[in-house]
Amino acid sequence: MRVFVLQRVTAVALVVFLTLHMIVVHYPPGHLDFSRVMVRLANPVWKVIDILFLLSVLVHALAGAYAVLIDAERIMPYKRILAWGAIALGVVAFIYGTITIINFKVLV
Amino acid sequence: MSQAQNTGQVMKAVIRIQRFNPDVDRKPYLADYPLDITDDTTLLDALETIKNELDGSLTFRRSCRHAICGSCAMNINGKNTLVCNRRVKAFLDGKGRVTIRPLPYLPIIKDLVVDRSAFWEQYLRVKPWLIPPASYNENQAPNSEFRVMPEEVAALKNAETCIMCGACYSACSVVGMNKKYIGPHALLKSFLRVMDPRDSAPAERLENVGGDDGVFRCHTIFNCIDVCPKGLNPTQAIETLRKLAQKRRDFEAARVERQKTLEADHV
Ligand code: SF4
Ligand code: FES
Repeated sequence: MRVFVLQRVTAVALVVFLTLHMIVVHYPPGHLDFSRVMVRLANPVWKVIDILFLLSVLVHALAGAYAVLIDAERIMPYKRILAWGAIALGVVAFIYGTITIINFKVLV
Repeated sequence: MSQAQNTGQVMKAVIRIQRFNPDVDRKPYLADYPLDITDDTTLLDALETIKNELDGSLTFRRSCRHAICGSCAMNINGKNTLVCNRRVKAFLDGKGRVTIRPLPYLPIIKDLVVDRSAFWEQYLRVKPWLIPPASYNENQAPNSEFRVMPEEVAALKNAETCIMCGACYSACSVVGMNKKYIGPHALLKSFLRVMDPRDSAPAERLENVGGDDGVFRCHTIFNCIDVCPKGLNPTQAIETLRKLAQKRRDFEAARVERQKTLEADHV
């Protein structure tokens, strides 16, 4: 049940983050411009948004993959190992992504 | 005399059937049976005609012929349905052929007969019977009936006409992956009991179906709705059970209060 709830909560968060992402990055004319992207990525507010976006994507994707994999009767007995593997992968990916986002600076 | 000779205009059809005799065959194979049919010939009529006139070794389950016993569910042109209330003509492809296979994901005993043990084992897991209030004494006949409100009866409508045919169970991809999954048929029955104001164990039931093999394993693929010959909606029932499973204590407390009014009526 916890995995199910986590996946639904992050799905709602993803709707918000993806809508924001599409509006800001892809739709308005001229936004796919290198210098604008640089400025946005260096903005602390955007750093926070991107870190939350990253967290939602990771939790959603790993919870989904876990739920699908444990459907298989042969994999089900190993679900604890799988869960810890998914958590470890998520933590590593989150730390790596967060460091990248935080350290981003505009090179002038 | 075959059904085809009884009524209407006669036409040609080929009934392609998956055959398998575990004593002789290494794997299932398809066999074609040319048949004269009419507009009214049902798939079950066709199978009976083949068995009576062409090949007596053909094996299949049927009983009521009225879409009520649930024993004749099979896979027709890739989709599960009952064969006793469906006409052959509606399933014929461009070559005038219809393909009948046993229900998928279940072990084949012979030809179109499958082993339904897993189906019934899962059914028993949800305690499909009504658990009456503790005050109910089965040795003493009650003075009056349990009164259930019309809206409470209406909530059960989605589940009470299930005939346990197994079409939904055998169409479910999750069942195909994992036979430990309770399955749409049993979850629908659990829903029926949980929603019934006369039942006194909703929290226990919700805990049971909220476990690893229960409602949270459903991926809302909708195959069960697609194939149910009674037009039921197991997915909706599963969705309701998911919501209730997360507040099962409150739900049980409300049930206790509701049953006090039942008992007041009951004295
Ligand atoms: S829900 Fe429908 S398909 Fe499933 S067992 Fe009941 S009648 Fe058959
Ligand atoms: S024979 Fe009973 S449901 Fe078809």
